[in-house]
Parts: sequence; structure tokens; C-alpha cells
Amino acid sequence: MFRKAYTAILPSVMLALLATSALSQDIKSIAILTPEQGTDFGWNQQGVDGAKAAGKATGVEVITAENLGYGDVRPTLRELAEDGNTLLIAHASGYNTAAPEIGAELGVKVAIVDSPASLKNGAVADYTASGHEGAYLAGRLAAKMSRSGAVGIVVSGEPPSWNSQSAAFAEGVKAEKASTVIRYAVIGPAAYSDAAGGKRVTESLIASGADIIFGQGNGSSFGMLQAVETTKAVDGGKVLFIDVIGDKSTIDKGYLLSSVLWNLTPIYTAMIEDIKADKFGSRNYDIALKNDSVSLLKTPQIPDDIWTSVMAIRDQIVKGDIKVTPKFDADSVHALVSELK
Amino acid sequence: MSLFTEAFMTALLVGAIAAGIPLLLAGLGEQLSEKAGVLNIGIEGMMLSGAYFGFLIAWKTDSALLGFLGGIGGGMIVAALMALLCVRLGLNQIVIGIALTLGAEGATALLHHVQFSQSYPRLSAPMVFSIPGLSQIPVLGTAFFSREPIVYLSLALVGVFAYLYRRTYWGIALQAAGDKPAALDSAGVNVMLIRSGAVLLTGGLVGLGGAFMAIVGAGIFVPFMTSGQGFIGIVLAMLARGQPIWVLGGAILFGACLSLTTALQVAGVDIPTDVIQMLPFAAVMLVLVFLGRKANLPSALGAAYVRGAR
Repeated sequence: MFRKAYTAILPSVMLALLATSALSQDIKSIAILTPEQGTDFGWNQQGVDGAKAAGKATGVEVITAENLGYGDVRPTLRELAEDGNTLLIAHASGYNTAAPEIGAELGVKVAIVDSPASLKNGAVADYTASGHEGAYLAGRLAAKMSRSGAVGIVVSGEPPSWNSQSAAFAEGVKAEKASTVIRYAVIGPAAYSDAAGGKRVTESLIASGADIIFGQGNGSSFGMLQAVETTKAVDGGKVLFIDVIGDKSTIDKGYLLSSVLWNLTPIYTAMIEDIKADKFGSRNYDIALKNDSVSLLKTPQIPDDIWTSVMAIRDQIVKGDIKVTPKFDADSVHALVSELK
Repeated sequence: MSLFTEAFMTALLVGAIAAGIPLLLAGLGEQLSEKAGVLNIGIEGMMLSGAYFGFLIAWKTDSALLGFLGGIGGGMIVAALMALLCVRLGLNQIVIGIALTLGAEGATALLHHVQFSQSYPRLSAPMVFSIPGLSQIPVLGTAFFSREPIVYLSLALVGVFAYLYRRTYWGIALQAAGDKPAALDSAGVNVMLIRSGAVLLTGGLVGLGGAFMAIVGAGIFVPFMTSGQGFIGIVLAMLARGQPIWVLGGAILFGACLSLTTALQVAGVDIPTDVIQMLPFAAVMLVLVFLGRKANLPSALGAAYVRGAR
């Protein structure tokens, strides 16, 4: 009887084990490609640091290919794929056409940004990470601290991630103080490293009355920071800067008000886990306040009472009492900023 | 809150000048190379090199003047390679130009990574020189007559080059090197020397433009910061076709349109940003295509000169 049952169960168990081993993928290394060096206190650094941390947590080697620029990265993608990396993280919206193409050609999984519709089972996943909840908090903070009643938004382009944060920032400003004027300007079509453009546009916004600047850019954000450091507000006082993604406190000269910090480690970790479970490409990835993958930076420029009240708003968002809906398209941002003026 | 205040209008004009000067220097430099028959696609790389060295030296010495000299040197280093490979060795000017740009992008990014990636030092605002009387004019005074000396120098270079091209032996030799290098050679003038000198001078001008971006425009160096300004300089030079004044017109128009795009956005004009951002490129092309089309490009442009070759 027992022997009969054993002979009946054994093949099933063997089959299940075989199936599991066939489904779960062995993953030794992944690669991340970034357009600029991973030392920009922003997008590129968060990408590289996040990938390395995820690799460490999951026991996977991480290859970094930095400073690739915004041109054609197909040769690098091909080389990294041929080197045996299981996953290629194409960490720039400009790579989201080339990466799926090379991935399909060489049978390698790719993660891209700013193209959620490209999701493809077993092949492509998107991580259009949006810190819109954090940007909403930044908007509430800016409205509380603006002396002039005018704040500015400067962006180096209009990718979905920037748009959702611009929109949420504007909504936060208006929710806090409806009379606050919001000025919005884009430096250029893809002016991510245009530091001079960042400074020029920021100076114009400051001259228009803004005394707090919410800046989104990679290299160009250093030009924005330089503008707030060297230009006085219309009332002769200090202009403060709210950054995104990274933490520039170590190079701050007393003008950094806050930053909407992103932590991409949970995203990349989830990708690796999904590959191991053969679920990669079945979902896209995002970041949120609730798991601290999005947070707001506390600096000495923020008085304690204001910080306490902003953190109370954070708790309301986490609980779901305040709902911040991301708006990824540029038209929505323009409509929102115009409507709010 | 009123938007079009004196402060806002001044900031827009200041921004227009700040954006236009690097383009002017890049355009003048490219024009010089083209007159000598060298299609200098590498000016983006020269500009980036000028930006890096200009910033480095200004930061190390706390002197904008030395920084500008460093920028000139930085541009000339890349230009020397261009002169060696394209003028002396006669290699393809387009291929070498692209290679030099890519090389300069990589090298400056690497140098920045090693030196500044943890600190991102910024420069203090450079000294301005106010022209008595004129600088008091509302809006225009601050924008045009209370500027860094390098701005006045750059504008003066337009007149200097116009004079050199039209009135001097060197200008004629330069023109001949681009149009009829064999005839120039027959007349006993060293074509290689004229072309090499032109390329080196181009590197200096363009490098100065890059240094302006880093020292005055941004106050910081970041990788890839020229963002294609060198290529826009090439377009300006091609469309201006030999006339320095048209390079100035194109550069100022481009800078003004950039400021206008900011003004339109800040004013909340309900036009897609892409359309607004197209404005500078469209305006410069339209104006220069209609007004600058009578001039001709040098007939030997882009061709390496080899004595005796047919």
C-alpha cells in the first residue's frame, strides 16, 4: 500500500521539481546603463547605487556602464547582453527604444523607463518611477515657506517622471495655500545636462517673483542650484531650492530646502526576484511613500514646526486619506499649472 | 502678481546675452575654419574641452581671466589634434570631427568624475564692468552695458574678424586656402600653415565660448554641458556664409528666442512646450536662409589639400 502510494507520488514530486527548476531562472549578473556618471547626486547616482544595493541584497553581480550619453547605446547594450547579463537596466528614457530591440534580438530581459505600455511578459518591464507623493509634500512645504507667495518649477525636459512630480508639486502648493502663484518653465527639449540653461531659466523665474524653486534636472540642476546661490529674491532675501531624486546636502551652501528622495533599491530587488520566479515582465514597478522608497529630505532650512506638519500630511497620504494621482503627460501639467495660476 | 516687471524683463535680456555669446564665439570659430577650407565638426568637443579647462583654472586660481585663457588653451588642445589629423595627414574631416567630439566628451566626463564628482564646486559670479551712463538705462542698461568684460570682447571680435577678412593679406590668404588652395600654394604661401593656424584659432575661439558657458553661464562644469551648442555654432556659420555680422545676428536671435521661450512658458501661454522650444531653431533658420543666402561656401571646403593632387 505504502509502496504503491510512494511510486505514485514520486513521479509527481520529480515532475514538480523539474518544472520549478525550469521556471526559476539562475541569475548571476545584471547590468545598468546610465547616460551620465553615477555621481550626480541625482538620477544616475540613484540608479547605480540602487542597482548595486539590490545586487548585494540578492547575491547578484552588478555591472555598471556609466556616462554613455544620450545617443545610440545599441553597441553597449549588445556587448552587455553578449557578456551574459540576465537583465539590462536601461536607465534613461532615451534608451527605451533601443533596449527592447536588443533584448529581443539577443534574448535578454530589459528594464526601461517612461514607457509603461512596453510591458512584455518575460522580456520587458518598465519602472517609470514617480515620486509624485513626495513632490506633493514638497509643494505643501514650499507654500508654507514662500515669503513672496510665488514659487517656480524648472525642468530639464518633460519625461513622464518629471511631469508627474511637477503636477503633484503644483497640487501640493495649491492645497496648502491657494493664492500662491506657480511659474513653470522647461529649459529645453532634453536639456538634462544644460547647466547654463538651468541657471538662465532659474534666474528668470526668480526675477518673476519666485523665492522657492522646485528643480528637476540631472546635470542642469547644478545650474539651478548655482542660480539660487547667486541671485537674490525680488524682496532681497534668500531663494531656496527643492531638488529631486538625490541628496545634495553635502555640497549645499545653505540654499537647499529639501529634496524628493528616491530609493530605487526595492524596484531593482523586485525585478531580480521576479526573474528568479519567472515572473519578470508581468508587471511594471513604482516607488511610494509607504515603503520609504520615496521620502522628503529634512534640512536645517526647514523649521521644526513646519516639518512636523508636513510629516503629518505624509501620514495622511500613507493612510490613504489624501490621494495624490500621478499625471504623466505634459499636457496635463500645462493645463494644471495654467488652471492654477 | 505682475509678471512683466523690470526685474523680469532684465533677467530675460541678460539670459539672451548669456545664451548668445557662446554661440557667437562658436559660430565665429567655425566660420574661420570654413573660410580656410576645413569643415570643423569637432567644435563641440573643443567647446567642451574649453569649458572644462576654463572652469578648472578659474576654480584653481579664483580668476575668471585666467579661466578664460585656460578655456582658449583647452579648445586649442583639441584643435591641434584636428589640425594634425585633418590638415597635415589629410584624414576625413567629418569622421575626425565626430571622433574628437566623442573623445572630448569622454575625457572631460572622466576628468570631472575624478576631480569634482564628490564636491561639485561652484564659482562666484565674475566681475562686471558697467559703462557709465549707459548702464543706468532701465532694463537695457543692466542687460547690455553692465556686463562681464568678456561679453564686450566677444562682440568686438565680430568687427575685428570682419576687418581681417576684408582688409588684410591674412584674410585674403585664408579665403584662398578655402577656395583655391592650389593657387595659393603656387603663389608661395604655405596652405598647411594657413589652414593649421585657422583651425588652432578656431579652437581658441570655441574654447573661449565653452569657458564662458562654464564661468559666466553656469558657474560650474558638468559633463556634456555644452549640450550641442557647438553644433548650433556650425549651423550659424554655415547659414551666415562668411559674414561675421550674420553670425552675430544669428547668435543674438537664438539667445533672444531662448529667452522668449522662457517668457512664454512663465506667462503660461497655452502652446505645447515642444512648439515653443522649436522657436529659436526655426527663427534662426528662417532669418538666415532668407538674408544670408547670397554668400557662398568655399569651394574646397571639406577637402584635404595635397600638393599636386588632382
